[in-house]
Amino acid sequence: MRRALVHTACSLVLAAAPNIGAADHSALKADAETALKKGVKPFVERYCIRCHGPRPKAGINLKSALNNPSSPDSYLHWKKAVANVKAHDMPPVDSSKIPTDKERRQFIEAIGKLKYLSPKDPGPFVIRRLTKVEYGNTLRDLYGMDPDIANELPDEVFGEGYLNSLSPLQTELLLGIANKVVMHVLGRGTILAGTPTEGGDLRKAARHVARSLARNAYRRPASEPELDTLVKVFVLGRDNDLEYREALGLMLKAILVSPQFLFITPVGKIESKEAIVPLDDYQLASRLSYLLWQAPPDADLSALADKGRLQQEDVLRAQVKRLLMDSRSRALFDGFGAQWLGLDELESQTFDSKLFPQMTTAMRSAMTDEARLFFESIVRENQSVVRFVDADYSFLNEPLARLYGLRDTVKGSEMRRVKLTNPNRGGILGMPATLAATSFPNRTSPVNRGVWTLERVLGETVPPPPPDVPELEEQNATSIEGLSLRQRTELHQNDPVCASCHRTLDPIGFGLENFDAIGRWRDHDDTGGPIDAAGKLPNGETFSNPAELKQLIAGRAEELARNLTERLLAYALCRPLEGYDEVVMDQLMEKIARDDYRMQSIITEIVTSYVFTQRRIKD
Amino acid sequence: MNNKTLIDRRACLKGMGASLALPLLDSMGWAEESGSRHTPKPPIRMGFMYMPHGVIMDQFWPSTPQSFRRSTPSALRSLRPVLDQCLMMKGISGVPIAPFRGAPHALELSTWLTARLPDADTRSRINIAISADQIMANYVGAHTPLLSLELATMPQTHKENQAGLNEAYYSHCSYRSPTQPVPAEINPRNVLNRLFGKASKPGQVSQADPLDRQMLDLVLDGARDLRRTLPQVDQHKLDEYLDSVRAVERRIAAIEDRQKEAALEKAGVTQSKRHTSDSPPIEIKIPEGDKRSEYMQVMCDLNVLAFQTDTTRVSTYIGSTPNGVSYPELGFSDKHHSTTHHGNKDQEKIRKVAAITEFNIAQFAYMVKKMANLREGQGTLLDNCIMMWGSGLEDGNEHARENLPFIIAGRGGGSLNTGRFLPDTKGNQGDLLTTLLACAGVPVDRPVGIATKELKEMKA
Repeated sequence: MRRALVHTACSLVLAAAPNIGAADHSALKADAETALKKGVKPFVERYCIRCHGPRPKAGINLKSALNNPSSPDSYLHWKKAVANVKAHDMPPVDSSKIPTDKERRQFIEAIGKLKYLSPKDPGPFVIRRLTKVEYGNTLRDLYGMDPDIANELPDEVFGEGYLNSLSPLQTELLLGIANKVVMHVLGRGTILAGTPTEGGDLRKAARHVARSLARNAYRRPASEPELDTLVKVFVLGRDNDLEYREALGLMLKAILVSPQFLFITPVGKIESKEAIVPLDDYQLASRLSYLLWQAPPDADLSALADKGRLQQEDVLRAQVKRLLMDSRSRALFDGFGAQWLGLDELESQTFDSKLFPQMTTAMRSAMTDEARLFFESIVRENQSVVRFVDADYSFLNEPLARLYGLRDTVKGSEMRRVKLTNPNRGGILGMPATLAATSFPNRTSPVNRGVWTLERVLGETVPPPPPDVPELEEQNATSIEGLSLRQRTELHQNDPVCASCHRTLDPIGFGLENFDAIGRWRDHDDTGGPIDAAGKLPNGETFSNPAELKQLIAGRAEELARNLTERLLAYALCRPLEGYDEVVMDQLMEKIARDDYRMQSIITEIVTSYVFTQRRIKD
Repeated sequence: MNNKTLIDRRACLKGMGASLALPLLDSMGWAEESGSRHTPKPPIRMGFMYMPHGVIMDQFWPSTPQSFRRSTPSALRSLRPVLDQCLMMKGISGVPIAPFRGAPHALELSTWLTARLPDADTRSRINIAISADQIMANYVGAHTPLLSLELATMPQTHKENQAGLNEAYYSHCSYRSPTQPVPAEINPRNVLNRLFGKASKPGQVSQADPLDRQMLDLVLDGARDLRRTLPQVDQHKLDEYLDSVRAVERRIAAIEDRQKEAALEKAGVTQSKRHTSDSPPIEIKIPEGDKRSEYMQVMCDLNVLAFQTDTTRVSTYIGSTPNGVSYPELGFSDKHHSTTHHGNKDQEKIRKVAAITEFNIAQFAYMVKKMANLREGQGTLLDNCIMMWGSGLEDGNEHARENLPFIIAGRGGGSLNTGRFLPDTKGNQGDLLTTLLACAGVPVDRPVGIATKELKEMKA
């Protein structure tokens, strides 16, 4: 199976096998089986199964999870169970049997071992359709089109990954766009230039053109049968009285609606009998460039794929670095960073225009630009992910600087790097874009900010509120009269059902209350009372202002890094993480920790990981 | 190169707010039964329109069969002029949603036309079932330029993770295969272009180019070769590609057929299948503002026009999706979802849910009343349609699904016995869809979703 991986002497060869040996793995697996039997099963049977058995409440079925502990579905159930047990949300406070804190800890620890029950599996990497953005960028890089040409395609539905499917409507639109590309290319005359000499073999010439067009468009060499198909299209055009170049245009149109262009496809038939094989170099090149650029491999990357050198780990590492330094890597923010930070809808988010007349289109895009430039600086300067929280600089233009209260520092609309001396500012917790994205149209939402920080920054799973709970603004108006937002929100904590989570969420949100709904500093809230930003985390650590809260969160480097790595790995694989991925994550975290959680280390370890470079081809 | 387009496009689009004057579409007769000496019978067309989150039950359900038309419940007021052409039934249950109890809203729309739950082991990927509209499209789609028409009011990009289910379950009701959700159009101008083409400019390659069809044929052959070299896990993905390209190919072929027919009619070789008494195609006015009712009505108009011109025979219109939608036009900014959790006591919220429901039904009523006023064959367009409005929950407060609320309008070419309310029907969502397909003349070789029977009491 591991073809051509073993013999290069000088260069490190891709770690096809994770660095635990088979013997270790079987020991871990045995340990996991013990943990299941002794740690998980008794706890579930004593505290959970009555409600989460065959007729499961909230869709969490721990009976089936016990029966099949390593399936992807069970993985999800375990994850939720851990979140709820950890938050003291489950078992419910009024149950007759309540576990001790020690029992909770042991249960969570035991579930942490279940990942070793999963067989080693990189996942299938099913042929993947280019997303709308990738498609537009590909037309830009190959044919000089404006990537907005893809705007008429339906928007992608993103979750963890995206909807890798194709409908008649999309295909019809793709054909329409292909028409436009062909007209553009024929009009420019560079790509389909030249007329073969009088009496020359036109088919031969067309085959030559097809070979070169397809190498770029298919992102791999076309096979002879694939070229036969394209030449047939050329002949079809000629038989219908098209000029030579017009017939080449028809051929290009065929390329642009072919699966080899629209999907990342393997080169040739896989002869291996193994269920798990390495990606071929061309697939790897595409997977890499679409991850970091949302665009096709460039000439350098393609040349390395042609030479079959991408399976060498040092070569692949060098390419990651090179691609990240290219301006196209802003796609990593556009495709990943913006989603991670929850900024992808800031542009269209509703703000009360009377309260916040500043939230113009220009201001919104300045906010997003700030987040992007900041994200890019951490990536390109290879800084530790901790800087996402405690950096002492940002990127501002004049209107943004005004939101920061820095009136005279920056002039004009151009964004530039600014050193920040106020420790409350700097990093994603004190940034207008994220502070605005977590707010309501007319006010801040400490709850949203708390959830945002726990989930997006620290990677915790916050259980959803129980159904039928009124949102804050829907509480009975007379009972909340005269209360500050903090006092109103703290009503949550009177009810034990709400308290279990809001004890954790709310203090973080209040810690950021000095920032209003669009990220300006304030000392008084909307009711006119002074802001009380003091709070305590569940572990007892206390803070009294945003700067101190930031420091506490920055101190949790491992959690910050693991969260970001998990999210980026899922994005890179275009699928949610499952059982065996957890084992891979542990290995990645070890390596990343050794390099102080630096951003390029995270990206490089993901790209060179077993799950990114291999795929399962059989069920 | 044949640059002729589908219809002679005297159509002129005068910019936003202008109306589009469509020509009399001679070429848009009914495609099958050509050569028959009988007057062709109009085909049956079927459309679905959706609203999430259920209704206020006592303002929706008639109290008795008699009161259905005599003292019509307030939610149905807008349908009064056509109630004789409507059918209502209580007792059709939705698919029980265990083991997805935490995901009522991710499932209300996605189970609506599939009558089946997503696969519980692959929640993060779409894996459900072909929907009833697409079953019909597979059967009748070859006769029309468009396999089926999917419309929506909101973009289908909602992000929320309920019970680990893929986000697309929130916003899609049509599925071509278990793994292939069908995206909907939300821009009326794009729909218009798709139905009838853009005004052609000199030098522009027509979208109905027969060379394209032959080119796609060759591409399909090549894709089949590629399929043989792929591992099994990839082959299925490629099948979706093959299906969607075949649909486009069929579309071009159907357009070519229409062109040929039109040419023959023009030359006096054959007679138009249209009756001279048939109403001319309706006009489309694309609204300028962002008023929800106007927007929904132009989408309804497009649906009517698509059916009237036999451009397609199957449509779905997701009038609203189960997430963050509000109705400023009704004078309040509350989100639809939060008003439905009224606890059966918050009168203010109950009033708002009722208003939202009435508003949605009024848009449906606008569409079917328009159809009832268009002459077609011996009757009206509505006579030959089966239009269903409904929701995937009965009561949004409790997430109840025991009696799905829905209204059927149109006699389905005489197959449905309308003007009635059947208060005690025993059946489920799958039974209902199976019966509707049967009424539309679609031979169903296996039941839709959880269906076990046809509902004979619906039929004429």
